[in-house]
Amino acid sequence: MIRRLAWVEWKRVMRTPLAWVMLAVSLCLLSWQFLGTLEAFVGMQTGDRILGLTHHLGLQLFGLAAVVLFLITPILTMRVFSEAFRSGTYTLLSSGPISVNDILLGKFFGILLLQLPCILMPAGLSLTLTTDTTLDLGLITAATLGLLLLSALYTAIGLYLSILSENPAVAAAGAYGLSLLLSLLDQHTASGGFLHWLAWPSHYLNLQMGLLNSSDIAYFLLLMLFFLGLSYHRLDQRRCG
Amino acid sequence: MSTLLNAKQLQRSFHGRPVVEPLDLQLSTGDILGLLGPNGAGKSTIMRMLCGDLAPSGGTIEIGGDDLLQRPLPSKRRIGFLPERPPLHQDQTVDEYLTDCAYLRGMDRSACKTALLQSKQQCGLESVGSRLIRKLSKGYQQRVGLAQAIIHDPQVVILDEPTDGLDPAQIRQVRELIRSLAETRGVILSSHILPEIQATCNRVVILQDGRIVYSGDLSTPASPCYRIGLEQDPDEVLIAALSPVTSVERLHTDYFRVTLKTGDNPSELSRLILEKGWGLIELTPETLSLEQRYLQATTGGKS
Repeated sequence: MIRRLAWVEWKRVMRTPLAWVMLAVSLCLLSWQFLGTLEAFVGMQTGDRILGLTHHLGLQLFGLAAVVLFLITPILTMRVFSEAFRSGTYTLLSSGPISVNDILLGKFFGILLLQLPCILMPAGLSLTLTTDTTLDLGLITAATLGLLLLSALYTAIGLYLSILSENPAVAAAGAYGLSLLLSLLDQHTASGGFLHWLAWPSHYLNLQMGLLNSSDIAYFLLLMLFFLGLSYHRLDQRRCG
Repeated sequence: MSTLLNAKQLQRSFHGRPVVEPLDLQLSTGDILGLLGPNGAGKSTIMRMLCGDLAPSGGTIEIGGDDLLQRPLPSKRRIGFLPERPPLHQDQTVDEYLTDCAYLRGMDRSACKTALLQSKQQCGLESVGSRLIRKLSKGYQQRVGLAQAIIHDPQVVILDEPTDGLDPAQIRQVRELIRSLAETRGVILSSHILPEIQATCNRVVILQDGRIVYSGDLSTPASPCYRIGLEQDPDEVLIAALSPVTSVERLHTDYFRVTLKTGDNPSELSRLILEKGWGLIELTPETLSLEQRYLQATTGGKS
C-alpha cells in the first residue's frame, strides 16, 4: 500500500505545473553551476589544481544541489498533510484500508520520488564528462547518496511541520526555519558537542568529498527516523484525540 | 439478513468531555438506518468512529465479523464513507480521482477501470469524467463524493448528509441510488432534513447530546397513540392517571392526544372513559410523523 500511495502522490503532483517549474528551475541552476565549475577548472593553471575535477564538482555542483533541495522540499511538503486536513481529503485515507504507518511512508516516498530527478541531476551532468576525462565515480556515488539522505531528512522535517499546521504557508515557514537551524548549529557551538554534531553540513561535506562514514549515514537516518516518528505519533494522536 | 455492522457500548470523549455516551448500533443487509438529531448530537462523531477515522474511547465495532479496532484493514475494505464535506482533490479530473480512490482501496488496475465505469453510471457522472472537479457544480461534486464511497463495492455505506447541495431532481436520484445500494448492502445516513430520512430510511435512531433517545422502525408507530374527544373536558392530570395511559397532550378544548403503554389496546381506554362519564365523542388512532417523534424525543414534546 506504501507503493500505491507513493505512486498516487507522485502522479498527483506531477500533473500540476509546480513540479515541472521546479524541475526546470533546478536543471537551469545546476547546469549553470556545472558549466561554471568546468570553466573555472579548465581555466586553472595546472599548479593551482590542488583538487581534481570530481572534487570540484562534488563541492560546487553537489553543494548547490543541497541548496536547491533545501529550497524546493518545503514547497513540496507544505501541502501534503496541512491541505489534506483542511480540505478533508485526509479522511479518504484514514477511513480507507491503509494504516497510519503506510499513509506516512507512502507520502514520504512520494515526495522523495518527486525530488529524485534533482538528486540524480548533478550525477547525470557529471557523467557527461566521462567520454573526455576520468572521473572518481566513487565520489559521485557518495555525494549522490549524501543528497538522497539530505533530501530524505528535509522531507521528514517538512512532513512533520505539515502535520502540525493546517496552514501550508505556516508549514513551509516552519520547515525552512528548522532546516536552516540544523544547518547553522555548527556555528558558535563547541566542536565535538552534541549541538555541533546535530548540524548536517559537516556530515554532508564528508559525503561530498567521497568519504563514506557509517556515522554520517547513521546521522541522517537517525534524524530522519526521529522526525518520521514524531509525525507518526502526531497522526495517531489525531485519530485517538 | 446477515448482520453487517455491530457496535456495542460505543462511546467517545474529547478532553474528558463525553460526546457520545455508550450506545449500541446494528446494521443488516437491506437496512437503511437514518441518524437524526440536532447539531452537536454526535452524529458525525459516530459516523467517523464507524468508518475508522476516529478511535472510540470505549466499546467495540464489528464489520462483517471483523473487529474494526483489532483488524482495521479487512474491516475498512468493507466500508464506504462520504463525510459531510466530500473529500475531493479539486485539481484532478473525475476519472483520475475515482481511479486513485479505487487503487488506494486495494483494487488492481483492470478492476479499477470496471469499477470506475460502474460507479460513474450509478451516480450519473458519465458526461463529466474528463472534467476537473473544481469546475463542477456543488451537486456534481457531491455525486463524485458519493461515487468514491461506493467505487470499491463496500458492504456498509456510511453517508453524512448525502443530499446536501443537490437540487430536487438530484435528491430523488440519490434516494433511488441509496435504495438500490441497500438491496445488497447496509446503508447508514445522517441528515438534518426530516422528510429526507422519512423518504429514504426504514430505521431511524434519534440522538440527543450523544445519547440515543429513540430507536425504531419507521413503518410502525413508536407506541400506540390516539386522538380523543371528550364532552366533559376533564383535566389532563385525570386522564394521565388512567392505567393504560403513559402521556397526555392537550390539542385544543375537549381534544387530547394520548399515548398508551406498548401492548395496550384502546378498548380498555374507552371502557375507563365511559366509567368516568366524560362522554367519549372521538377515538382515532394516530401515527406519529417522524417530526413528532423527533420533537417528542429531543424536547419531550414541548415544542
